[in-house]
Amino acid sequence: MAEEYKSIKEEIHLPYKWALGPVFTKFFENFKEKKIMGTKCPKCHRVLIPARRFCPRCFVDTDEWVQVSNEGTVRTWSLVNFEYSGQVKKPPYVQGLIDLDGADTALAHFIGGIDLSDLEKVPEQVKIGMRVKARWKENREGNILDIEYFEPKEEL
Amino acid sequence: MTDRVGIVAVAQIGHDYAVDKNLREICYEVTKDILSQVEMEREDLGTIISSSSDHWQGISCSNSYYYEAIGAYLKNSSKAPEDSAFAFLYGMMRIMTGHFDTALVHAVTKGSEIPGVSTLTNLYADPFIQRPVGLDDVSTAALQAVEYMDRYKITEEHAAKVVAKNRGNGLNNPYALKERVSVEDVLKSQIMAYPLKKLDCAPSSDGTCALLLASEEKTRELTDNPVWIKGIGWEVDHTYFGDRDLLNGSLRKAAKRAYNMAGIEPKEIDVAEICEPYSFQELLWCEQLGFCPEGKGGKLIDEGVTEMSGELPVNPSGGVLSNNPYVARGLFRIVEGALQVMGKAGKRQVPDVETALAHSTHGFAGQLHSVIILEG
Amino acid sequence: MSRKVGIIGVGQTKHGRRDDVNYIDLVYDAVRAAMEDVKISPGDIDAVVSGSMPPPMEGINAPHLYWSDAMGAFGKPSMRIATCGSTGMSIAQSAYYHVASGLFDVVLAVGAEKMLENDPQGTMTTVADPFFQRPFIAGAPGVFSMQSIQYSHRYGLPEERVRMAAAQISVDHHTNALDNPYAHIRIKITVDDVLKSRIISYPTRLLDVCPSSDGACALVFACEEKAKKIAESPDEIAWVKGVGYAGDEHFFGDSDKVVWESAIKASQEAYKMAGIQNPLKDLDVAEIYNPFTYQELIYYECFGFCGKGEACKLVEDGAVLRGGELPCDPSGGTLCTNPIGATGLLRVGEAALQVSGRADKRQVPGARTALSHAMGGSDQFNGIMILGSDKMEV
Repeated sequence: MAEEYKSIKEEIHLPYKWALGPVFTKFFENFKEKKIMGTKCPKCHRVLIPARRFCPRCFVDTDEWVQVSNEGTVRTWSLVNFEYSGQVKKPPYVQGLIDLDGADTALAHFIGGIDLSDLEKVPEQVKIGMRVKARWKENREGNILDIEYFEPKEEL
Repeated sequence: MTDRVGIVAVAQIGHDYAVDKNLREICYEVTKDILSQVEMEREDLGTIISSSSDHWQGISCSNSYYYEAIGAYLKNSSKAPEDSAFAFLYGMMRIMTGHFDTALVHAVTKGSEIPGVSTLTNLYADPFIQRPVGLDDVSTAALQAVEYMDRYKITEEHAAKVVAKNRGNGLNNPYALKERVSVEDVLKSQIMAYPLKKLDCAPSSDGTCALLLASEEKTRELTDNPVWIKGIGWEVDHTYFGDRDLLNGSLRKAAKRAYNMAGIEPKEIDVAEICEPYSFQELLWCEQLGFCPEGKGGKLIDEGVTEMSGELPVNPSGGVLSNNPYVARGLFRIVEGALQVMGKAGKRQVPDVETALAHSTHGFAGQLHSVIILEG
Repeated sequence: MSRKVGIIGVGQTKHGRRDDVNYIDLVYDAVRAAMEDVKISPGDIDAVVSGSMPPPMEGINAPHLYWSDAMGAFGKPSMRIATCGSTGMSIAQSAYYHVASGLFDVVLAVGAEKMLENDPQGTMTTVADPFFQRPFIAGAPGVFSMQSIQYSHRYGLPEERVRMAAAQISVDHHTNALDNPYAHIRIKITVDDVLKSRIISYPTRLLDVCPSSDGACALVFACEEKAKKIAESPDEIAWVKGVGYAGDEHFFGDSDKVVWESAIKASQEAYKMAGIQNPLKDLDVAEIYNPFTYQELIYYECFGFCGKGEACKLVEDGAVLRGGELPCDPSGGTLCTNPIGATGLLRVGEAALQVSGRADKRQVPGARTALSHAMGGSDQFNGIMILGSDKMEV
């Protein structure tokens, strides 16, 4: 008969307090006004979202602030159908990378307003290249979840 | 095979500046500082080795977060976490093979953002035997201190003198805590874990530092004031606290390896930057580094040997007691040692430094030690 | 300046759910296995390098301190290296540099994970920065799935075709694992089983995805002189021919993950050092870090096995499957066994076994040059090591 060895259980919760620094602070302050801000690199001229202190490739300060659109294109997406500890949203839900108009890097966020009743049918509703628009929360606190999700935008 | 490896430039950012800044941004700044000192572009860097800690950051795969901030975009960069002296040692190895002619070595810790040093170091302990009885950085250092006091008649006053010395030295260091502390202040401070009182224990600081290593040829190209790495050694002790000889751990042999490689004796060291998060430890480490005979740490501090004006100044920077960005502190010791050899240590400069020793330790009561010997 | 370095010993545990041992035991078993493999004792080891996933994975800070005795590291130089998923490769590369630099002659490399004691995806999500990405990066599946969808779209490939190629990879590798006694998942499956399995994170389905495993691996690296003294025969030494590593930016949205620069650069760096010009021809076997079938397609292209958008064809022609020109993951790969801290090291270890002719039933006949690979972060880091045998071509 196989021996059974014991285990002990514990959960570890650790409180952290992270400094945003001036650039990220300003980025989120703008969220309160429903503005998404990027910074532009003086060398490669890319507009970086979220706004950055420096360009990761040119390695120079990027202190020109540029507002980008609240609308953009889905660069890629995925339907999340599993659970894990600390998950912010209960699955199933759709996440994606959004190329906002005016930005050269993509923003990770939720894609909402999708019918999730039949998971196999989701790919019919969410497509790479689809146009989406930010849906802001009424009460904004200055964090990434001030945007509730990006929702499909009908092109007229 | 053994062309020498040199330190070409060093840079640091201290707590006061770092505390309200974003971690990525201070990493970027310290890296830009190095690049501007040597007039290099990011693209010119050979390899980059960093050190930080996931638990300290609350961000797993800690170097992922600031990867591009230290210039590593599309570069060959790795991480030796938990003790930044190891990032230095690994960087050195990469140069020695000739695969790279420069290596940026970097470390960062934001001690102000964490739940607490005790909370995080309690997590070093195995969950079954040691963690539930509360072993952590402070309590294990205290257990070691009691044994030390008992065996060699080291007193709380000896330990308090270390604090007064180092905090006094810290006044000369733009990157350290600038708060003078007297022996009296230490002795009167609140007991944390007997015999350690609050002022016997290092603070939890924010800081980042970096240095540029280069092959011998490249070092000569980049600077007229090189610092050569003469000797290195490191060693780990047992897993279980109760298995260890706390007064005779891995430091002695680690130091021996370094001295042998450098071909020198301890008495040839002109200045030492030692990792002393708990006052008593500076005395114990000095013994094991061969700066005085075993058990004579108290005499060492009584006779002022390790004061700025003494024969072998220890921690002219103020040491870890004045600046403790936990994981980064090892690299800070090397940076300070290098500055001493370069003659660029400003008000904390010890005169006529030829050879400096930098020491780092982490884990309970010095479970893992490293020793690095630098020469001009 | 750089010494020749070989891998002479490989040890691993049975991977899977290992509730029967604690973390220390697991590490010890792998280390003992490696030492027994090459008949050495702890006294023969000069230094130790180890690593694992972020310490929050097991809830033990600074694991190298915890593993100290289990690795026989007491009284020796010991160092931890950690780069998330690519850790196993980073450990191997560090062990290589320990020896190549001339500092140490015989170095033990140890990787381990006990992730089934925890919620691994919960931990992996903490790799993403807390300000911008953490709510949206659903662990590993979240990231790799987004990459996978991008791939199909980029080259205008019909989804069914990509899905089928992924399924074929899954069947091939799962079948391979049946010949690997150490592998975690050892099941007989069909293409149909894969296509019908439940969605984890669209488009990836259960059988497109690796398990979470407990497991450990240890390798012994040695300089030429010691390797020749210790190994059974010089033919059984797996020489390190090339190393490469590169990383993208932290933010997932900053770089393209289809024409994936860090993967391309890492392979180019390693190929250059190893003198490899035509990977499909020059390599005999590849142990690719493939937690997700779809992702493997992207790797074929980034590593130069084929041109852009042509990975499906490699699979359809059987070139990268068992019996093909460049069989991938004869061990079953990460897809069947994923104790993450060990996984990258296992790729190196399996590659070493292949070129030294010691891979038992999973041996690719006549293999002399192997590629091993690992990836880490949110599709951020890629590392490669090329191993080769010096034995004469028969």
